[in-house]
Amino acid sequence: MTKGKKILAHAVLILASFLSVFPLYYMLCGATNTSIDVVRGKLIPGTYLVENFKSLVANQNLGLAMANSFRNAILMTLITLLVCSIAGYGFEIYHDKAKDALMSVLLLAMMLPFVAIMIPLFKMMSHWGLVNSWAAFVLPSISTPFMIMLFRQASRSFPNDIIEAARLDGLSEIGIFFRMFVPIMRSTYGAAMTVTFMNAWNSYLWPKVVFQSNASITMPMLVANLKSGYSVDYGMLMLGVLICTLPTAIIFLCLQKSFANGITGAVK
Amino acid sequence: MKKKNAAALMAAAMAASLLVGCGGGAASSSAATSTAESTPAESKVESTAESTAADGDETLTVWAWDPNFNIYALKQAEAIYQKDHPNFKLNIEENVYSDIETKLITAATSEDYSTLPDLFLMQDYSYHKMVANFPGIYTDLTDSGLDWDKFSGGKLADSTVDGHHYGLPFDNGASVMAVRSDMIENAGLTVDDFKDLTWSEFEEKAQKVVDANGVPMLTSSGGSELIIEMMQSAGASPVVDGEVKIADNAALKESLTVYKDMVDKGILAEYTDWDQYIASMNDGKAAGVINGCWIMSSVQAAADQSGKWAIVNMPKLDGIDGATNYANCGGASWAVSSNCKNTELAFDFLKSTFGSSVELYDDLLPNAGAISSYLPAAESDVYNQPSEFYGGQTVYKDIVEFAGKVPAFDCGAYYSDVRSALTDAVTNIVQNNADIDSEMQNAQDTVEFNIAG
Repeated sequence: MTKGKKILAHAVLILASFLSVFPLYYMLCGATNTSIDVVRGKLIPGTYLVENFKSLVANQNLGLAMANSFRNAILMTLITLLVCSIAGYGFEIYHDKAKDALMSVLLLAMMLPFVAIMIPLFKMMSHWGLVNSWAAFVLPSISTPFMIMLFRQASRSFPNDIIEAARLDGLSEIGIFFRMFVPIMRSTYGAAMTVTFMNAWNSYLWPKVVFQSNASITMPMLVANLKSGYSVDYGMLMLGVLICTLPTAIIFLCLQKSFANGITGAVK
Repeated sequence: MKKKNAAALMAAAMAASLLVGCGGGAASSSAATSTAESTPAESKVESTAESTAADGDETLTVWAWDPNFNIYALKQAEAIYQKDHPNFKLNIEENVYSDIETKLITAATSEDYSTLPDLFLMQDYSYHKMVANFPGIYTDLTDSGLDWDKFSGGKLADSTVDGHHYGLPFDNGASVMAVRSDMIENAGLTVDDFKDLTWSEFEEKAQKVVDANGVPMLTSSGGSELIIEMMQSAGASPVVDGEVKIADNAALKESLTVYKDMVDKGILAEYTDWDQYIASMNDGKAAGVINGCWIMSSVQAAADQSGKWAIVNMPKLDGIDGATNYANCGGASWAVSSNCKNTELAFDFLKSTFGSSVELYDDLLPNAGAISSYLPAAESDVYNQPSEFYGGQTVYKDIVEFAGKVPAFDCGAYYSDVRSALTDAVTNIVQNNADIDSEMQNAQDTVEFNIAG
């Protein structure tokens, strides 16, 4: 790489990182300033963090929303990972023509926008008496074509020798999956977990429709509520957004490495 | 290299799935799609709603959206009603307004009304469209015993469809022009000079303020909000008896001409982003704003500008029959849902609080900034209190007076269609110097097309 190229590359990268970091910085600043300062575009951190937090807690049930969001996201992540990894593994290891056809149908389902199936889904849930329950939130998303595809791709790089060896040693097919595949594919699970958790945490429309009562409020709903009034307290809003972002940010940072490996289907 | 390509592909797919994920995860199941084909008639309305009041239970569930405003009002109303009904309780659920509509529409299209609350607050502009499309959501309030004569006719018209009442008016959205008195004085004028003007007189005086202060006289949130208010101030409805009257609407043409002229002269600055629009007032980047009186809470957010603002009526259109200095923007009304099991309790609650309690409205004015549409409330002392922020002006009394003079105006069920067609027209006229007549014809065609569709 010549020097000129290097400088150009750095310039582009610096610009790109500035563009991605600036909103985060602005969010942090906003959370520590008064509403009027945020509106006026103040770009240095202020001293209003505690007051913003106090008014946020007074205004909204922060603890409840956090607890609900964590419960929903963790349940969704656990069930989704289990269902999709078994499905993806099955599609690849017990491979045949019919399963290929089924996989294409699954992938086609990915093209269907959620709003198109929202009303029928709501009818189903209300028919089963599940409205307002976490099951209504989790059920429609436990089997996503994308996750199945991810695990199917990952299974492709899973050495067949291990399966053969395990079978010879007398391990059952389920045993092979749980005792061989799962530990070896840790990084794929890490990547899948990050994506599923973020999706579950950030989802808004569907929970808003199936959770009718205030007792089921989640963090994104809480943030939306902060902006619903005729006059918006922007400092409080920024703090709400910050708190809502933290868990996904922390999880992403912790699982960053396995995320990058897992998405390419690396075998450890 | 192969691995790298795969990584890039996956990253792209992930990004896409994250976008979809905002809508609740890329949910899919063949079972879900097959039910889409089933007819709505198959579904049964379940009667096991937990939210509605059972016999003997005096609890009502309500949907509203602003903790400092309408939710505060509900809490006060609950306290007042509890004096005579100690067992009464309101279960208030906070929902963003657009989500309230989403939930109502979901319930109506799936014909499962069991998830609806007993009462909900709805923006006035939605009433006609929602009642026309989803009549099953509402309980007719016409014979509920509420005293409709105590509300202004213009406000009631929004929630009245074919002579039936579907909403009890709550807050008032009379248009005001909030102006910076200090900036006006910088130009050697007084606030009184800005009262009862026509737009041409206004432009002349505003130009002086612009020159003296170096900021525009008015700030606008872009779009057609102000245009619709100007049209309304002349009572020139864009839809009359189901017929679209946009292309040949003289008041609209005059409004667009004035608007464009003000943008060209730097009297009016457009901000397409709501937050920047609010910032322009708080930041001294404009000497005034015209909007529904609810905008005052945003103006007042800049406490350091106390004493520097005043409220006057908006200018009226030149040379238009029936032109006035008064319009309305926004406001909401209480609706009773069809899922309300104890309608008697709901009616009585509304009647005793928002339908007749001056005590309630007296509390809401100073504490929530809610200006009543219940006419007798305006005679109360609280409305005659001077406001310090507006330099000692009795702003609330003035606003109630404005509200009483707003001409009747009807967009029928097509308010949002008219609004978005006019937004396109305004944008093209201001940004691209498009011809006003042809843009009005375009808007007419668009709205007619939507109505026919």
